[in-house]
Amino acid sequence: MKDYEMVVGLEVHAELNTESKIYCNCRNAFGLEVNTQVCPICMGMPGTLPTLNEKVVEYAIKMGHALNCKINSVCKQDRKNYFYPDLPKAYQISQAEVPLCENGHLDIMVDGEEKTIGVTRIHIEEDAGKLLHDESFSGSLVDLNRCGVPLIEIVSEPDIRSSAEAKAYLDTIKSILQYINISDCKMQEGSIRCDVNVSVREKGAAEFGTRCEMKNVNSFSGAVRGIEYEAKRQIELLESGGKVIQETRRWDDAKGMSFTMRTKEDAQDYRYFPEPDLLTIVVDEEKIKALKASIPELPNKKVSRYVKQLGLSQIDATLIAEAVDKSKLFDECTALGKCSPKIISNWILADISKYSNDTGKSIIETPLTAQRLADLLAEVEKGSISNSAAKKVFEIILSDDKDPADIIKEQGLVQNSDTGFLEQLAKDILAENEKSVADYKNGKTNALGYLVGQCMKASKGKANPGIVKEIVTKMLTE
Amino acid sequence: MSIDIKHIAKLSRLRIEDEKLEKFEKDMENIVAMVDKLPEISDELTLDASNPMKLREDKAVPNKFTRDELIANAPKVQAGCLVVPKTVE
Amino acid sequence: MKLYEKTAFELSQMLKNKKCSAVELLGDVNERINNVEDKVGAYVTLNESAKSQAEAVDKAIADGREIHPLAGIPIGIKDNISTKGLRTTCSSKMLENYVPPFNATVAQKVADAGMVITGKMNMDEFAMGSSTETSYMHLTHNPHDTDCVPGGSSGGSAAAVAAGEAIVTLGSDTGGSIRQPAALCGVVGLKPTYGSVSRYGLVAFASSLDQIGPMGKSVKDVAMMQSLISGHDAMDATSKDIAYPDLLANLTDSAKGLKIGVPKEYFGEGIDDEEKQSVYNAIKLLEANGASIKEISLPSTEYAINTYYIIASAEASSNLARFDGVKYGYRAKDYDGLTDMYEKTRSEGFGDEVKRRIMLGTFVLSSGFYDAYYKKAKLVQRKISQEFSEAFSECDIIATPTVPSRAFKIGENIGDPLKMYYSDVCTVTVNIAGLPAVSMPCGKSSYKNMPLGMQFIADKFKEQTLLNAANAYENLVGGFDVISKAL
Ligand SMILES: [Mg+2]
Ligand SMILES: [Zn+2]
Repeated sequence: MKDYEMVVGLEVHAELNTESKIYCNCRNAFGLEVNTQVCPICMGMPGTLPTLNEKVVEYAIKMGHALNCKINSVCKQDRKNYFYPDLPKAYQISQAEVPLCENGHLDIMVDGEEKTIGVTRIHIEEDAGKLLHDESFSGSLVDLNRCGVPLIEIVSEPDIRSSAEAKAYLDTIKSILQYINISDCKMQEGSIRCDVNVSVREKGAAEFGTRCEMKNVNSFSGAVRGIEYEAKRQIELLESGGKVIQETRRWDDAKGMSFTMRTKEDAQDYRYFPEPDLLTIVVDEEKIKALKASIPELPNKKVSRYVKQLGLSQIDATLIAEAVDKSKLFDECTALGKCSPKIISNWILADISKYSNDTGKSIIETPLTAQRLADLLAEVEKGSISNSAAKKVFEIILSDDKDPADIIKEQGLVQNSDTGFLEQLAKDILAENEKSVADYKNGKTNALGYLVGQCMKASKGKANPGIVKEIVTKMLTE
Repeated sequence: MSIDIKHIAKLSRLRIEDEKLEKFEKDMENIVAMVDKLPEISDELTLDASNPMKLREDKAVPNKFTRDELIANAPKVQAGCLVVPKTVE
Repeated sequence: MKLYEKTAFELSQMLKNKKCSAVELLGDVNERINNVEDKVGAYVTLNESAKSQAEAVDKAIADGREIHPLAGIPIGIKDNISTKGLRTTCSSKMLENYVPPFNATVAQKVADAGMVITGKMNMDEFAMGSSTETSYMHLTHNPHDTDCVPGGSSGGSAAAVAAGEAIVTLGSDTGGSIRQPAALCGVVGLKPTYGSVSRYGLVAFASSLDQIGPMGKSVKDVAMMQSLISGHDAMDATSKDIAYPDLLANLTDSAKGLKIGVPKEYFGEGIDDEEKQSVYNAIKLLEANGASIKEISLPSTEYAINTYYIIASAEASSNLARFDGVKYGYRAKDYDGLTDMYEKTRSEGFGDEVKRRIMLGTFVLSSGFYDAYYKKAKLVQRKISQEFSEAFSECDIIATPTVPSRAFKIGENIGDPLKMYYSDVCTVTVNIAGLPAVSMPCGKSSYKNMPLGMQFIADKFKEQTLLNAANAYENLVGGFDVISKAL
C-alpha cells in the first residue's frame, strides 16, 4: 500500500451569545417552547425586512482579530437561495463575495509541536429553524425558534493533515470562542457545529485529491471519527483501483459511517446575489482597533507560553489554557511568584478541578482567590505544612471563606521544621529504641521507617516528616 | 439562445404544464433575447461606503405576537408547529 | 358637487370647519362604490370597520381634539400593503386568505392619522404587470372607458380615484406601477425617492426598486399624503434617516425660474404622437410662464427596460420563494412528499406572469449566467444613475411622457409579454436610479377623451422641487378634471 496523507478543511458554525437575534428583536434563547421565540420577521412573513444587530458584527470582528484575520471594514450581505421547510424566507442571509474577516491563521499545538492552520474567512449569517420528527406522525413538524439566531462561519484552509490536528484545531477554536465570550459553545444545544471537507493524496504529491464534503457532523469527536472514516474510505477506494467522486456525504455518527447525500451533478445552485434589503456594512476603523484591544491572551498562546516558559507538559498546559477560569487562576497565581508553576498546575488539575466538577461551580465563583492559593502552596513548598494538611486548609478556605495563614494557625497545622528541636527529638527516640538502631545497623533498613514513625508520634504529628527522616538517617549512618 | 426551461422551473420549484411549455419557452427566449442586449461596461461593481447601514442595538423585546396569531395563516399546524411532509425516511 | 368629487385638501378644510362629517363623507364614497364598483372593479376587499374609524374621527372633532389634516379622509390601500386584520392578497390565489397580524409602517401611519381605510385595491398579481389583468381576483376597468385597462400594477388604486370610489389611495411603484396607471386613469401619482417611504409591510416584488407612493386628484393631495407616509423607519434598513419637509406647507405655484430638462430619448419612435404633443404643449405652457427649457440627453435609456427586467426579476425570484405552502397562504390539496408539495403549491398558487418573472429571475442568477446578466445589469444601473446625476446639474426637473400611449384595450397586450413590458419604457429608469417622479394628466386623447400623462422627474429627495413644478403646471391648467364622466 502507498503512503497516503489526508487533506482536511473545516467549516465551523458557531452561534453567537447575543441578547437578540441577528435580524429582529426576538430573544436569542435555547430550549423554549416551540414557535414562541418568533416574530413576523424571523418567520419570513410577506413584507417584513431585516435589520442587522450591531453586536453580531462586533463579535465576528473579535473572532477575526483572534484568528489574525484582515477585517473588511466595508462589506455586504448576500442571499443564499434554497428551499427547505426550516428556512422560512427560502433564502439565508449570509455573506458571499466579501466576508467580514478573511486571510487569517490559527496556531495550534499537536504532540508538543506548533502548527499553523490558515483561516480563509469568517462571515456572519442566520441560523435556520428545526425539524422535529416522530415515528407516530406521518409528517415533520417545523419549529422556527432558532431561525435568525446569529452565526459566524469560520472556514479553514485545507491545511489539516491528521485527525489529531483536526481535533486540536476544533478544540482551540472552541476555547477561543469561550475566551472572548462570544459563544456558549454548548455542543448538546448545537450551538457549535462543523462541516468537514476531506481528500487524500499520496504523501508528497503536489496536487490535492478529489474532496468530499461531510455534513451533519454534530460534535467535535464525531468530526474526528468522520474524518478518519472518510480518509480510510477514500484510501481503500483508491487502493482497490477506484476513484473518489466529488460529492456531499451525510455523517451518521451512530453507525460510524457516511452516506452519499448528493453528487456533484445535482449540486445545489444557491443563486447568491447581494441582499437588497440591507445596505453596505461600514465599520469604523477606531471601533475595529478598540475590538482588537479587547482581545485577551488567547489559549493557544497560553499553551505555548506554559510549555516553553513555565515548563508545563503540553497536556497540562492545554488542560489549563483551554478553560477560561483555570487559566485565569493559574496566571494570577504564577504572577505572584510565591510558588512554582508546577505545584499550581498540579493543584488546579487535581483538587481544584475535582471540587469544580463535584459542585458544578466555576473556581472563579469560590472564596479561593489566587492570593490564597499562592499563600497555601508556598507553605507546602516551604514544608511548613504537610500535603494532607494543605488539603484540609483548602477545604476550609472554600467552606469558611478564610485566609490560609489563619486556618493553619487555628487548626494547629504548622509542621515543625526546626532542625535543633527535631535533632533533639531524634536523639531521644534513638536512645529509647536501641534495638531498632541495632537492627538497622545489621541491615534491617525498614527499622528506619519505624524510628521516623516514633518521632512523628512523639511530636503529635507536627514534625516535618521529610526533615525527620533526613536527621534520623544521618544519625544512624554516623 | 435556448433555455433549459425545465431545469429553471425545477430550481424555482415550479412545474409548467406540458401544453403551456412551448409558449413559456418562447416567451422566455424572447425575454432573454431582449435582456441580452446590454452594453459591455468594463468596470467592477464597488460597494457604496458613502451610504452606510445603521445597525440595530442588540436588545431583545418581549414578543408582541402570540404563537396562535403567528401561525393562524398556516395551512397545516399541529402542537404549535407547522406541518410539512416528512423530510427524512 | 358630490363629496367624492372633491380633493382631499378641500375635504380636509370642510371637516375642520364642520361643513361635513367623516361619516357623511364615507357615506358618500360608499354610495359611489355601490353605484360604480361593478363597472370598475377597483377593490379586492372592502373594510368592514371603515364606519367605526369615521365615527372615531367625528368624535375627536366633536370633543375639540387636535386632529391630523388627513383625519377622516377615505383612503384605499393597494393589496400588497399589509393591513393588520384586513386580508392582504397581492391579488394572488397564493394569498387569497392571508390576513397579516401586523400593519405595514405606512398603514400604521395612515391609521394613526385617523384616515378611514375603505378597503384594499386590486392590482396585478404580486405587482407584476401593467394592466391589472394578471390579478387572480377580477379585472379592473378604466373608469374613462371600461373596455380599457386602468394600467398597472396599481390599477385598482388609480381607477378608484378616477371613479370617486376613494379620495386618495396608496400604490406601489417598482417600474412605473403608480405613474403608469395614474396616467392612464388621469390622476396624480407620486413615486417617491427610494428610501423616503418605509417598505416595511409592503409585500416585496423587487426590494431595491419598490417604493410606496400616493395617488390623488391634485398635487396638493399627493403632497399631503407623501408628508404623512415619508420619514425614517428603523424597521427598514434602506429607509433614509434625514429631515423630510412639510411638502404642503412649502408648496409653491409659480413656474418662474424653473429649469426643465427635456431628454430626447423619451420622445422617440415608440411614443404616440398625441402623447408627445401633449407633453410638448405642457412644457411650452410652463416656458411661457417663466420656466426655461433645455434639451438634454440620457443615452443609456435604451437599456433601461432590459436592466429593469433583469434586476427586478432576479429579486422577485428570491422574494417570492417564501410562498411555499408552509407558513401562510395556499397549499396544494394532494401531494407526494416535500418537493411535490412545493411544486404543486407554487404552480397552482401563482399565475403565468408571476411564473415567467420568477423563472427569468432564477435564470439570470443561476450558475454560469450571473455575471452575464445580473452583474452587467447592475453596472448599467450605475451608468443610468450617473447620467441622471449629470442631468440634474443643469436642470431642476426632467419632463417626459409617462406612457407611450393612452390606455389600451383589455386583452390587447396580455398575450405578448414584451409588448406589455414596453408600456413601462418611460418609467423604469426612475426606479433604476431611485429617483422621485410624479405623473399628472396633461391632455386628452382623440380616442374617447382618454387621459394622457406627463411625468416630472427630480433628483433624489427633491420631492419639494418636483411637486412645486407639478403644482405650477396644475395651477396653469386650472386644476385637473379627474372624476370620470363616463361611468
Ligand atoms: Mg454557512
Ligand atoms: Zn423574530
